[in-house]
Amino acid sequence: MNNIFDRIKYGTETIKDPLKNNEFSYGKIVAREKACNNCRACINECAMDAIRINTNAFGEHIVSVDKKKCIYCRNCVNICPNSILKMTSDYKMAELELAGDKLREKVYSIFNRSLVLRVVDTGSCNACMSELSALQNTFYDISRFGINVAASPRHADGLVVTGAVTINMKEALEKTYHAIAEPKIVIAVGSCAYNGGIFKEGDGVYGVVKDILPVDLVIPGCPPSPQAIIFGLLKLMDKR
Amino acid sequence: MKITDTINSLQELNFDLKYEVKNNNELYVRIKADQIRKIVLICVELYKFNYICEFSIEGDKLSTEGEETTINCVFSNSKYGYYVICSYITQKNPIDLSDIIYQSRLFQREINKDYDYKVKEISGTGAYQVAVGPVHAGIIEPGHFRFSVMGEPIENLEIRLMYKYRGIEKQCMDINANSLNLMFERVSGESSVAYGEVYAILVEKILGAQITEEIKAFRIVLLELERMYNYLDDLGGIANDIGYSYVAKKFGYFSEIIHQLCERVSGSRFMRNAIVPLGINIDFNKQKKKDIIDTLKSIKTRVGSIIKMSVNAVSFLDRVEDTGMVSRIMAKKLCMTGVVARACNLKYDVRVAFPYELYKDIKKSINIETKGGVFERYKLKCRELKDAFNFIEKALTYISIDIKRDKQEICLKDGLEAIASVETVKGELVVYGLTGKDNKFDRIYFKTPSFTNWTGMSEAVLGEIIPDFPLINKSFNMSYSENDR
Repeated sequence: MNNIFDRIKYGTETIKDPLKNNEFSYGKIVAREKACNNCRACINECAMDAIRINTNAFGEHIVSVDKKKCIYCRNCVNICPNSILKMTSDYKMAELELAGDKLREKVYSIFNRSLVLRVVDTGSCNACMSELSALQNTFYDISRFGINVAASPRHADGLVVTGAVTINMKEALEKTYHAIAEPKIVIAVGSCAYNGGIFKEGDGVYGVVKDILPVDLVIPGCPPSPQAIIFGLLKLMDKR
Repeated sequence: MKITDTINSLQELNFDLKYEVKNNNELYVRIKADQIRKIVLICVELYKFNYICEFSIEGDKLSTEGEETTINCVFSNSKYGYYVICSYITQKNPIDLSDIIYQSRLFQREINKDYDYKVKEISGTGAYQVAVGPVHAGIIEPGHFRFSVMGEPIENLEIRLMYKYRGIEKQCMDINANSLNLMFERVSGESSVAYGEVYAILVEKILGAQITEEIKAFRIVLLELERMYNYLDDLGGIANDIGYSYVAKKFGYFSEIIHQLCERVSGSRFMRNAIVPLGINIDFNKQKKKDIIDTLKSIKTRVGSIIKMSVNAVSFLDRVEDTGMVSRIMAKKLCMTGVVARACNLKYDVRVAFPYELYKDIKKSINIETKGGVFERYKLKCRELKDAFNFIEKALTYISIDIKRDKQEICLKDGLEAIASVETVKGELVVYGLTGKDNKFDRIYFKTPSFTNWTGMSEAVLGEIIPDFPLINKSFNMSYSENDR
């Protein structure tokens, strides 16, 4: 009874469009053009080795930040003496990995209407897991897009992997992948899943997901926000 | 007994030992290997110290044969707030202390790689095993559970972890002290701020530095915000496992609101890279202060009413009451910490015993419950949540000026050591740091709260049925990531 009163009093506590612009979110790091003096302070600061400075024919230095490797700690933005680097709030960074592969695109069209996923954590710091479970709260409510999390890989269309693959989890990951019926997709969530992130030189780390399984979609971030994950999944489903 | 009394008492006992007091509250006792058993017995039986952990200074380098290694046993006195570190040099494996301290075997298994591990087996009519994991049904981290069941009740639970072992302690030795906080924050994502805080305290202790009161207060705001979203998630998880989905979804919604507040304050939903040694890495102004006060005010009564709604439901109480009990004696024996231990009537909270930042002024008492079941843990988490609202309010009164982003270069001298501890959402986190050359650490050791609390869970499920296991698991809600490291 109390539930009903509470429900009437406060109404639906959700939002219409989870992909609305979020000005406070972290996002792509962009560099102002023709301003870098090649002091390399950002490169020394970066723990992930994600920043490159290329010099073109006119002697201009062009800074580029690899958005998939970046862990968005903002140290490079803060340290830059000329404040060339700037963090935007554009969280829409997810990219299809096998872009241009016509065969795969056909596979994605099968999942256009609904997508059932199985989540496997292979060595993340559990922030990614926390964000994935946040997808199911009433605020984002991912089932409205037809995306659900299955309890068994047998019922799933795709595998979501978070974290660098540790030696101990390699076998479990492979077995889960083989248990999923064809056609299947693999989604790497977070920078650790893409290239090992901060753990890539760890003692117990075997490698990254793409060494073991074919990765279809990479959702960068550390951890990627629920909005970024929803954007990535919708991109795969061709709804965005 | 105070630290000076301990020193006097140790000298009277005629041991062949050297002692040294560092950083005001750390007593380092160097002793010969053949006397360690005696001194540990005295520490535990006579002085009533709490056993914390045991680790080797060399870490993973131990594998080479015949080399000497230093083993540290850490004890704490929670009443007067100091640590006692007994260290001895051994050439072979660490000296067996498991008959004096039960949990010592957990730590010795880490030091001694060829430790003989025995799995308990149950046999007889109607006995069978249920294996779960490492890939679980929900969105959870990997771990393998093996239930030995006789008919309905669980007779034994074997928890096999370390699926996520990444070698973080070893990696910490290769990272410059200026960016090591990034690594610390990724030991466990749920308690990022607490790990950032423990690193800041460790470095500040080594350098003997002090920070301003405003920054101290702001750190408390961040720490308590983290506590809030974690406990909201936990409460939601417990309600979800019972099947009370209205309450579960509402808690999830509040947790999302706090996450978004964190994003507005620090730019990261987990407030990463916010706390740095000797300062703070984000700006704080009046607008943000107002935002925090307004947001918390808007949900405070609502959280209270939802908690009330859950504890007034009979079907809810039916599941949680007298489920997953751990006795006080068992909790003490298993060295449990945090909310889980306080629910078993163990009066220990790092924020009171070893007050850091401004907790001395803000937190005066320890919340405890007596019975040690799921409902007690639920109630305690609700109380901690209410406290978090009050602490943030109190801490914000200390901040009257705008705080500027202030990240200083740190330069560490060679050969200094310190121990820092923080109360994370899961319990007591103790970190030992020994500095080395080139502004790096020679050894970082984490004694994470989940490490000892996991064994508490295999105690809690005994006699329960398997369908109650997810509920008990969620009420503990231990982190696999920080356990595995």
